[in-house]
Amino acid sequence: MILHPTIIANLLAAYIASGMVLYALFYGVQILRYWDIQSGHELQLVLERKTYLISTLLSYVFGLQLLSLFLFIFTADSLAPLFVGAMCAVGTLNVDGFGYPTLVLKIFNFILAGLWLILNYADNQGYDYPLIKKKYGLLAFVAPLIILEMILESAYFLNMEADVITSCCGSLFSSERVTGIGSEIASLPVRPMMWVFYSAMSCTLINGFFFYLKGKGGYLYAALSLLIFFIALVSIVSFISLYIYELPTHHCPFCIIMEDYNYIGYLLYILLFAAVVSGIGSGVLIPFREVESLQLMLGAFIRKLALASVILYAVFTALVTYEIVSSSLVIAYEVVY
Amino acid sequence: MIELVNVKKVFNAGNPSEFSALNSVSLHIAENQVTVLKGPSGSGKTTLLSIVGCMSRPSAGRVKLNGREITSLPERFLTDIRRKTFGFIFQQPNLIKGISVLDNVMLPAYPLGEKRSQLKMKAMKGLSELNIANKAASKVEWLSGGEAQRASIVRALINDPHIIIADEPTAHLDTKLSYRFMEIIEKFKSEGKTVIITSHDPLVYESAMVDCVVNLRNGQIEDERA
Repeated sequence: MILHPTIIANLLAAYIASGMVLYALFYGVQILRYWDIQSGHELQLVLERKTYLISTLLSYVFGLQLLSLFLFIFTADSLAPLFVGAMCAVGTLNVDGFGYPTLVLKIFNFILAGLWLILNYADNQGYDYPLIKKKYGLLAFVAPLIILEMILESAYFLNMEADVITSCCGSLFSSERVTGIGSEIASLPVRPMMWVFYSAMSCTLINGFFFYLKGKGGYLYAALSLLIFFIALVSIVSFISLYIYELPTHHCPFCIIMEDYNYIGYLLYILLFAAVVSGIGSGVLIPFREVESLQLMLGAFIRKLALASVILYAVFTALVTYEIVSSSLVIAYEVVY
Repeated sequence: MIELVNVKKVFNAGNPSEFSALNSVSLHIAENQVTVLKGPSGSGKTTLLSIVGCMSRPSAGRVKLNGREITSLPERFLTDIRRKTFGFIFQQPNLIKGISVLDNVMLPAYPLGEKRSQLKMKAMKGLSELNIANKAASKVEWLSGGEAQRASIVRALINDPHIIIADEPTAHLDTKLSYRFMEIIEKFKSEGKTVIITSHDPLVYESAMVDCVVNLRNGQIEDERA
């Protein structure tokens, strides 16, 4: 293991989150098994009081979970100078077999944590704990993943050896390589990908705005916001990165978080992740619009989430477009290297 | 109007100092009536009153207000009910020193956001009705016991609650002031308010205006007479 402040911070965050989630899960399981709002039994009243503590605790834990994704990426980026061959986070994540699985799980858990926070907020608006079982059901699903993430993250950081020679982003996200998902995405033709990105984004924004105005098409918007999230991630590798680096061959999705590029990657990823969470969140809440205690507020909250998601995606698109337009790179023909 | 179903309250549960203040209390408190909870010290009167007034939660059992179950409500909903439905008169006036009588009276209404001018008019009207309008600008430290008690009554009424809750209101009053207090309670009753009083003062529970006396002992209802 390499003793570095950011590694200690990451591991501490993971252990705190896991410990608290386990504590919350203990009561969450009891709520799932014994919750009965009609009952005046002592256990029911204890659970009613406990749910305040648990939901407050989890709000902080999942807030920490959201931040920990960016802390993890920042750590991977800042450790790059320690490894031979690593130029950015890509190389650091590749020093052992646990880096990328941890990152993927962190992204997945980020979305789930965001959805839990949305569900919790909606539940707290009702006087009769209307979504309590759904909320703790989701917790029961998320908790093992948070624990797994902690195990993978521990294995990743504890197995780090400074004398490892690793691969740089130029090699992993290169259209010259014939294998690997990074290379396959990097090999996607630029112009068709731009068409796909802008067309899909336009459909998503139009649908989202329609949903905000008319209250119809919510499920479609949730699905589209998830789809456009993946398309945007692929687009970053495929063509957005090229315009930011002003290099026709550099497809790295991590170098954009560096100081050399004004940390623009952080902004792009924050917009993207916040947009997908609020977009899916608006869809997740739709089935509960008719719940009596939520009728007055939930519709407005769903619309606000949809609007937030639309604005975030629109800002993301505007920022990407600005980078493309202001870039010195001109791709007048299909680059094949 | 208020219904208690098998209400229990245990303090320090699971500790050696565990104390059961209420044991399976079931009670119906009627609307527009004066109900007195009577009993010796430690019988659970104040605990029961604090549960009815949403100031504490039972360990088990449920409380219904106008048919709506309120013990399970999240705290912010409970605060709203407490603020709008109940007016509290405590054993001690519990006025805040250093500020005027008028400010003390208006204080519980501030979270509701009513216009200050209207609020002031309402507070002055209440103070006039209880003959202490001339003390409005005085600091509360300057009030006599009876005046402080009346100021606390006006404060309890500032949000126009349907239910008045009074915990041993005559404990620190002499006989004359106690009679004066009961006259005020009679006025509340005539205005259609529900009044719940805890007291072991015969002047209160033997009063003709009292509709129901609930006798508590060791955390249980011993008898109930209308």
